[in-house]
Amino acid sequence: MVLAEQPDNWERQVKKGWLELAILASLWSEELYGLSLLRGLEEDTDLVLAEGTIYPILSRLKADGLVDTKWVEGESGHPRKYYWLTPAGRRRAVVMARYASGFLGSIEKLIAPLLAKEGK
Amino acid sequence: MHSDTLQRRVDAYLAELRRCLCELPPDEVRDILQEIRGHILERAEASGELTEERLVEILKALGRPEEIAPLYQVDSVVAKARTSLSPRVVMRGIHRWSVVSAWGLLLFVLGVVGYATGFSLMLTAVSKIFLPREVGAWVSPGAFSIGTSSAPGARDVLGWWLVPVGLAVGVLVIAGTTRLLRWTLRFARIRRPTSTVSSASSY
Repeated sequence: MVLAEQPDNWERQVKKGWLELAILASLWSEELYGLSLLRGLEEDTDLVLAEGTIYPILSRLKADGLVDTKWVEGESGHPRKYYWLTPAGRRRAVVMARYASGFLGSIEKLIAPLLAKEGK
Repeated sequence: MHSDTLQRRVDAYLAELRRCLCELPPDEVRDILQEIRGHILERAEASGELTEERLVEILKALGRPEEIAPLYQVDSVVAKARTSLSPRVVMRGIHRWSVVSAWGLLLFVLGVVGYATGFSLMLTAVSKIFLPREVGAWVSPGAFSIGTSSAPGARDVLGWWLVPVGLAVGVLVIAGTTRLLRWTLRFARIRRPTSTVSSASSY
């Protein structure tokens, strides 16, 4: 993410809102440490504004009981903190995913004429 | 550039982050710094030969310590307060909220009044044991007070009952204040300033 490309405030707020769901979704099928989660988000999405924001969100998800953690000694000599979803985290992820899916569907329908006009 | 210089730069970044995280418990700060240090080192390793420019890029992508730290503190302090029974921890969470919200400020004042009332009642109850004649629940014409009274003709209506009653009511007021503040803290995350992080060009 090139930070010099400052997105406008609307884009920033949208990304902020989706980031928590994106983190929970990334942890759905595997345990990840912060940087591996970040790399996945960078590859699949454009949600991360500053890398340092991921860690406080993970910290809050842990405080809320949605993820759990453990320190694992890395191959390169420094330990990595792995995160995985708790049962409460999995339930929360499903609720958020259902809401997001319905929400996206209705927004897509709403903005379809705008995109069609742009395509002409 | 010499690796010692790069190491000093990383240490300076982490020292600044530590300074900004001063409100958190030391073990939690240690945990955060270890995770961020791991992030920086792993990013550095992935870039092959580490240059000063690359290190600046890595730290810039992370964000400025003074912008990252409040995200931890609002989240962590408030999250802890939401599940704590300790008035000190709950008030720390409310205080944190009061910095960014008028509702938080109002609840901070409410918390001070609630806890002051509860602890005063308990203190008065304990004082009764040591100063039985001076401390009481005093009723005089047109007035009622708990504590010491110098009003002429004032009558202690509770006597020794002030000890259990004062302790019980004090505990109830403290517990009620804690419960109310914890409940309101469920809404505190609304104000989390996650959109303020930009860059860390000076590290």
